Amino acid sequence: MLTDVLHNDLPWQLRSKFNNQLNNVDLNTLNSTHTNIPKIKAGRLAAQFWAAYVPCDTQNKDAVRQTLEQIDVIHRMCEKYPEDFMFATSSRDIMEAFTQNKMASLIGVEGGHSMDSSLATLRTLYQLGVRYMTLTHSCNTPWVDNWLVDTGSDPSENNGLSDFGFQVIKEMNRLGMMVDLAHVSERVMKQVLNVSEAPVIFSHSSAYGVCPHKRNVPDDILKLVKEKEGVVMVNFYNDYVTCSDKANLSQVADHFDHIKKVAGASIIGFGGDYDGVERVPEGLENVSKYPALVAELLRRNWTNEEVQMALGKNLLRVFEKVEQVRTHRKRQIRARMTPAARRCTACLC
Amino acid sequence: MSPVRVLLFCFLCTSSCASELRERALRLMARDPLIDGHNDLALQLRILHNNKLSHIRLYNLSNVATDINRLKTGRVGAQVFAAYVMCTAQEKDAVRLTLEQIDVIQRMCTSYPDLELVTSAQGLEQSTKTACLISIEGGHSIDSSLATLRMFYQLGVRSMALTHTCNTPWAESSSNIYSFYPKKNQSLTSFGEAVVREMNRLGMIVDLSHSSWDTARSVLEISTAPVIFSHSSAFAVCQHNRNVPDWLLVMLKEKRGLIMVNMHSGFISCGEKGNISVVADHFEHIRKVAGFESIGIGGDYDGASKFPDGLEDVSKYPALIQELVRRNWTETELAAILRRNFLRVFKEVEKVRDRQSSQPPSEAEIPLADAANPCRLILTRPVSGSVFRDASSSNVNVLTCSVVSSVLLPFLLLLLLLLLPTAV
Repeated sequence: MLTDVLHNDLPWQLRSKFNNQLNNVDLNTLNSTHTNIPKIKAGRLAAQFWAAYVPCDTQNKDAVRQTLEQIDVIHRMCEKYPEDFMFATSSRDIMEAFTQNKMASLIGVEGGHSMDSSLATLRTLYQLGVRYMTLTHSCNTPWVDNWLVDTGSDPSENNGLSDFGFQVIKEMNRLGMMVDLAHVSERVMKQVLNVSEAPVIFSHSSAYGVCPHKRNVPDDILKLVKEKEGVVMVNFYNDYVTCSDKANLSQVADHFDHIKKVAGASIIGFGGDYDGVERVPEGLENVSKYPALVAELLRRNWTNEEVQMALGKNLLRVFEKVEQVRTHRKRQIRARMTPAARRCTACLC
Repeated sequence: MSPVRVLLFCFLCTSSCASELRERALRLMARDPLIDGHNDLALQLRILHNNKLSHIRLYNLSNVATDINRLKTGRVGAQVFAAYVMCTAQEKDAVRLTLEQIDVIQRMCTSYPDLELVTSAQGLEQSTKTACLISIEGGHSIDSSLATLRMFYQLGVRSMALTHTCNTPWAESSSNIYSFYPKKNQSLTSFGEAVVREMNRLGMIVDLSHSSWDTARSVLEISTAPVIFSHSSAFAVCQHNRNVPDWLLVMLKEKRGLIMVNMHSGFISCGEKGNISVVADHFEHIRKVAGFESIGIGGDYDGASKFPDGLEDVSKYPALIQELVRRNWTETELAAILRRNFLRVFKEVEKVRDRQSSQPPSEAEIPLADAANPCRLILTRPVSGSVFRDASSSNVNVLTCSVVSSVLLPFLLLLLLLLLPTAV
C-alpha cells in the first residue's frame, strides 16, 4: 500500500523555521514538523506534492521571487536526499520513483498571486517543475476570487474568474499544469469545472456535506467533479473535518465515506495538508499515520479497488489525462503549422 | 601610363581587392560563424510588440536592427539574447519582468525552424541553425536571491551581467545615473562574492559589462572560471567608462577571459558616428594589450541607437571582418574572435562547474539591512493561528511595487496631458 498525497507544506516550515537553510536541518531527525523522512517511510508515501507556498502578504510585493525560493528549496531538498526523494514532473516519473523505492517529489504552487498575473511567469513555473497551481490562497488575485468571498470576509472582485482568469485556465490546460480548486470560491469551482479541458483537482479540501466550512466542497460540486473525472483530496485539518478545533481519524474517514456516497470512489484522494496547519486529528498526528486511515476505510468495507483508487490511481488518472490534453493541444498546433514551421523540434512551442 | 589610366587601374584594383577581401571574410565566417555576445531584440519586442510574437514575423522586422534574415546575412551563427529589464524595476517587479523576457526569448527561439535554443557549449557547437542563448543584463534581476539565480539557470540562462546602469545591493555599476545603493568602499560585497561563486558553481558565465572597474577587478580576483565583458570596448581608444582600461584587459588575459567588442558609436568613437575603421582600431588595440585570444564580438544591436557607418545592423558583420582581413589579421586570429574564444570560455566555465559538482548550493543570504525596501516582505512567525504577518510596513501603497504602475503610468498620464491640446 503506497499513498500519493497532494499537499504538504514542509517547504513552508523549512522557510519559517530555518530560513531555507537546509544545511541546518536533517530531515532524518527533524522532530518539530509533521513530516520527516522516517515518518514518510512509515506512512508508505509513494508520491508527494510539496507546496511552494508564499503568503498572501507577498501579493503586489515580492511573491514571485519568494515563490522561486520555495521552488528552489524543494529542488535542493530532493538533491540533498537522493536515496529517499526523486524529483518528478510527470505521471511516468511517479511510476519510475516507485520502482526505485523512492518517494516521487513534485511541486504545487499554492496561490495564483505567485504568478503575478503573468502567463509568462506561469510558463516559467511549469518549466521549473510546477505541476499544479492552486488558483488562490486565502486572498483574491486580480483575476480570481477566493473562498473568503463565500464567507463574506472578502468582496468579490472578479465575479469568480475574470476574462484573464479564463485565459489562465486555458494556458494551464495547454501546458499540462493541473488546475487546483482548493481555496477558491464556489463560483470559481463551477466556472472552472465547466470550462477546463482537462480534469481538475482539489489538492486539500474536504466534504461540505460533513462539515459546512467554505473551504470544503459542496455535494453538487462533488457531482460535477465526478462528471469531469477530477479528484478531491481530503484535507485533515480539524477545522475542515469537524468544523471545530478537535477531530479524530474516524471523522476523517466520514469524509471519505460521504464523498464516495455522493460521487463515487473514483474522485477521492488523500490531501493531508500536514505542516500547513496546526490542528490535526487524533490518530493522524503526522504523515506516518496514513496506514491507520487506510485500515479504517477497509474496516468500513471499502474494497481493495476503492482503497487503491483513493491511494493513488485516481490521482494518476487525472495527471495522465492532463498530460494527454497537453499532447493533444500540441498536435493541434502542429497540424495548423506550415511544413517549414513543423521542423521546429523544441518542445517549448 | 596616363593619369586617367592610373586612376582607372587603381579603382579596378581596389574594387577587385575589396571583392577578394569580402570573399575571404565570407569564407572565414562560413567556416566559423560569429557568436555575438549581446543583443537586445527581446527588449524591442517588449517595447514595440508587448512580447506578442503572434503579431509579427521574425524573418523581416522593421524598426529593429535584428531579424532572422539579417542574422543570416551577417553570418551570425549564434546570438546571445539579453533578458534585460530596466533598473527602475529594482526593488519592484524586476524578477517577474525578467521571467517574461526569458519567456519571450524561449518562445522566439523555439517558434522558428531557423533558430535553436541552446544551453551548453556542445549545443552551441553542434547547432546547424542560428543558435540562441539567454543572458541576463543586471543583477537587479535576481533581487539579491541566490535561489532566484539558480532558477534562472534552470530556465536556460547562461550568463549574467552583475549590474546594468545601477548598483545592486551587492555590486557597483560603472554608471551613476541612479541613486540605488551608493557604494562607499566595497564595490563587491561579501554577498556579491557569494553570487560570483554560485555562478561559478552553476556554470553561469559572469559578465562584467556595465560593472565598475573596481567590481570587475574584485570579480577577476575571485572567480574560478574565466569571465567576459559581453559588450564593451577599449577605453584607450574611446574614454568612456563603459569601456575597459588596459590594466583590466591585462587582468582579463591572465584569467583567460573575453572582451566582446561593442559596436555602439558611443563606446567606439565616444559619440561621433564613427566607421568600421575605428571599430577595427579597438580590435587592434585589444590585440596589442591582451592578445587575440581575449577578443570576441558583442554588437549591442537593438540596445543602443547609434552605430557606425557600415555597421548599422547585424547583417553588416562581414564588412567588419573584411576590414580586419585587410589589416592582415590571420585566419587563426579571426576564427578565434568570431567564435573559438567564446567557445573556449564557455567550455572552461562548464569544466569549473563539473569540478564543483559535489558542492552543495549556496545558502548565503544578503544581510537584511543591505536589501531592505518596502516591497521586500520580511516574514515573521505568526503570533497565533496560521496567518503569517508582514514585519515590514503594511501601509505601503501596493502600486509602488510595480514599475509599470509607479513609473510608466504617471509618465503616460503626463504624456496624455501634454498631447491633449494638440489632439483636439
